[in-house]
Amino acid sequence: MKIIIDNTEIECQEGDLLIDVMLKNSVKIPHFCYQEDLGANGNCRMCMVEIKGAKRPQIACDTFVCENLEVSTKSQNITEVKRSILELELLNHPVDCPICDQAGECKLQDYYMDYGLYDSHQNTPKTKKGKHIDLGSNVMLDQERCVLCTRCVRFTSNITKTGELGIIGRGDSARVAVAPGRELNNPYAMNVVELCPVGALTSKDFRFAQRVWFLDSTKSICHGCSRGCNIHIDYNETKYSDEKVHRFRSRRNNSINKSFLCDYGRLSYKELNNTYSGEVSKVEDLKQLLDVDKKLALASPSLSYQQLEAIKEFCQNKNIELFSLAYIDNSFGDNWLKTNDMSANFASVKELSINTNESEFLKSFENATLVINFDHKKLSDMELTNKKVVEFTSSQIKSSSELIFSFANFAHESGTLINCDGIKQQFFASKYKDKHPRLIEILEEL
Amino acid sequence: MSFSYTQENTIKVASLLNKYPQKKALVLPLLWMAQKQDSFISEDAISHISEFLNLEYMHIYSVATFYTMFKLQKPQKKLIEVCRTLSCELNGSEDIKSYLDNNYGDDYEIIEVECMGACSGAPMCTVDGKYHENLTPKSLDEVLK
Amino acid sequence: MITKIVSKNFEIPNSHTMEVALENGRYSSLKSLFEKEPQEIIETIKQSGLRGKGGGGALAGNKWQIVNDWDGTKYVVVNADESEPGTFKDRRILSLDPHLLIEGIIATCYAVSSNISYIYVRGEYEEFSDVLQAAIDEAYEKNFLGNGAKYKVDITIHRGAGAYICGEKSALLESLEGNRGHPRLKPHSPEPEFYFGEPTLVNNVETIASVPFIVQNGADAYRAYGTEKSPGTLLFAISGNINKPGVYEAEFGVSMLDYIEKIGGGVKNGKKLKAVIPGGASTPVLPAGLLKDAKLDYESLKSIGSALGTGGMIILDEDASMVKALKNLLRFYHHESCGQCTPCREGTSWSDKILDRFLAKKATKEDLNILRSVSKTMNGKTICVFAPAASGVIDGFLEHFEAEFLECIV
Repeated sequence: MKIIIDNTEIECQEGDLLIDVMLKNSVKIPHFCYQEDLGANGNCRMCMVEIKGAKRPQIACDTFVCENLEVSTKSQNITEVKRSILELELLNHPVDCPICDQAGECKLQDYYMDYGLYDSHQNTPKTKKGKHIDLGSNVMLDQERCVLCTRCVRFTSNITKTGELGIIGRGDSARVAVAPGRELNNPYAMNVVELCPVGALTSKDFRFAQRVWFLDSTKSICHGCSRGCNIHIDYNETKYSDEKVHRFRSRRNNSINKSFLCDYGRLSYKELNNTYSGEVSKVEDLKQLLDVDKKLALASPSLSYQQLEAIKEFCQNKNIELFSLAYIDNSFGDNWLKTNDMSANFASVKELSINTNESEFLKSFENATLVINFDHKKLSDMELTNKKVVEFTSSQIKSSSELIFSFANFAHESGTLINCDGIKQQFFASKYKDKHPRLIEILEEL
Repeated sequence: MSFSYTQENTIKVASLLNKYPQKKALVLPLLWMAQKQDSFISEDAISHISEFLNLEYMHIYSVATFYTMFKLQKPQKKLIEVCRTLSCELNGSEDIKSYLDNNYGDDYEIIEVECMGACSGAPMCTVDGKYHENLTPKSLDEVLK
Repeated sequence: MITKIVSKNFEIPNSHTMEVALENGRYSSLKSLFEKEPQEIIETIKQSGLRGKGGGGALAGNKWQIVNDWDGTKYVVVNADESEPGTFKDRRILSLDPHLLIEGIIATCYAVSSNISYIYVRGEYEEFSDVLQAAIDEAYEKNFLGNGAKYKVDITIHRGAGAYICGEKSALLESLEGNRGHPRLKPHSPEPEFYFGEPTLVNNVETIASVPFIVQNGADAYRAYGTEKSPGTLLFAISGNINKPGVYEAEFGVSMLDYIEKIGGGVKNGKKLKAVIPGGASTPVLPAGLLKDAKLDYESLKSIGSALGTGGMIILDEDASMVKALKNLLRFYHHESCGQCTPCREGTSWSDKILDRFLAKKATKEDLNILRSVSKTMNGKTICVFAPAASGVIDGFLEHFEAEFLECIV
């Protein structure tokens, strides 16, 4: 059916929530408590709109579309309503912007610029509550900054069902807290930092690390396990220091991870900053070594489809037996996002028909004199005496090797991953050129 | 867990379970029983209730902090609640509070509360939960000494 | 001038015991009740024009019909959370004539085909709910309730724990479900209330206590009292600067000034009447000058800019400070806000803090404007009517007594 929003006709279906329709059609509608995956709560009152025929303004998150619905978000009346509710949200809000990590991606700042811009009438003392409370799991709570939208409470109650967070007290002394002596403790805890529209819940890991307006973003996929949750890699490069990845943020994908990440995956950005900085070998040296009989290559199942394809071709040309072994941890997977298969692209390994049989690998390994390790994490656990090892690494080297080549990690690559459900996904490189060459380029030289 | 209900209360709890369609409705009655037993609601009591009702600890704790009558700290003295809302204020509740603070502040915990539904007997207070109305310094002395 | 329908037995010694109650007519309406079909009872209530006596004044019969027509297990919840400042009438019923309430609950349950009832009593009323519990136990013994009764009804008392907002019917049901007392979002079309998803009727104690009279004597007998739009009687209460504070039942439509003089005994200490808050702290204050023709019914008070509410009058004499009175009421609102939605949580807090500046005589002209603007933001933009009531209170004081506030401005 068609409804009218600000004199424009918009198409929608019966049963749609008005706020969903507005967000989908890029109509500006301020909101705190509504979140697509958590649903509506109706307590912030910011999404009020004027509906023709209704006595009072209505909240868009509790209004279903109907035939002949006419909505206004720009009338003088509703503009004043938005301004006055925003003023009340900001009334007891501490002026922490200069030290608050949320600055630059804070809804209160954004809405103030859009609907506020008024002179403050604050003339009574602000309510004081707890600040910089460490909740555990890398989450810091500042109760004064909180607008009591209850997104975090609903997340731990309804999504993770671990119930650590709740509201205590009543009225204007109501605040978000964990029960005394307890802490936030579940594998998805840091999602509350992203859910929080203001700086009440912030990441301890990111605390005071970087101002968000200096960060660039690239669309990527988490390589922590085979779920392939969609992420943004936030990074920047400053004049006198190298490019650094500062954090992962979730990217919405309604078929895979919605808008959530597990903490393990979220913090796996640290590996991207941990690259090899020692001396690298020359390609000529490797060419010489390849003149032996028993050669074995082990490829990481987290490499992209294109990288695995290039390795397969290289191994076929040089007559090297190629294997790839899965990273399985049966204690890691759960019934939501985390999977026991902790590699990013094992499905591609299968699709390319690369040998994954462990006993066959062990047999070949015993006899091999030259082992080429394409970034596989498990090789360093094995007995490597009497064998020449050539390492291709995107991070650090653990053992001593004959030859070392380092190549660009996935933040500087683009490629395809196939996740545990067979979904093919693309990830993209950040905009800065990495000092490490790309794996495919090295292989081409050989 | 070092909290458990008395024999008598345990029987009451069992009979209450039959009266509600879902056991989570028992949060308030169980909190009251715990408070009556120990004069306050301890962390152990909340753990016990949380396990018994199969609800998160935080949920029980959050409900307990919402209601003003639930005490989460062990009280040291007997409680006097003085009503401070309009009808009582118009009839001298402030003077009653001062009198109490000056003469009984050491022996009792004296707090102000909102309307107790005793406006025709203003000014009023409760001592240990029992209503005392039409207060004068003299009538207070008779009750408290 | 005093009319005794609900309060008929209040002054009889031991009226709360089964023996005395039976001697004085309690449970006598059950005979007429069971002679009729449940829908007939609902029609009778509708025809009587009985309006809810908890402050809202909504037609009881319509509520009963909506619950009756909705599929599911029906519950009847009696709202005994009486926490409105200036209101203390339900307490009288609980402690002086609990069997009247029980009789009313049986009739209500029969009418809407419910077998389960809860009485939500405010936590502070422990003494009175103990009397009520004893009466309920007696009723079970006499087979008025429980398995041995002609119509099975089970009554459970559920004690609140000190939250005014739990008197709001959806917050009451949240509390009854074991949650914090947060009012629920209001439906867009007529619906009953829901307890664990089942259709539930929520009525005030006095509303239910008025049912036996109507069942026994008929709708017309009830309409013989009161006015056309506000039929019947109400347990009006009077307190504050008055000679004879108390609960005195009267029919709707009596003159407020007559009530104050003749029943209330006039303003204490011979002072002049300055203002009346007609129906508990949620109703806008009225200056004495507007009260000449004011009648104690819903329509008359609405027409002069206030509301009947619970009918609990608070009398303010010539010496009362309106600034202090408003501060008192805003402090109440600040303390009792549940904190769920922004305009109420922040608005009640800010307006209370601003009144401190007025009390200290350090206010500015800006403060008066802010007070008006905050009042506007609290009105019509919240989940429940708590904040709009606070808004009405502020507007009432500023409209009629602005001079006293201007005196506090430096």
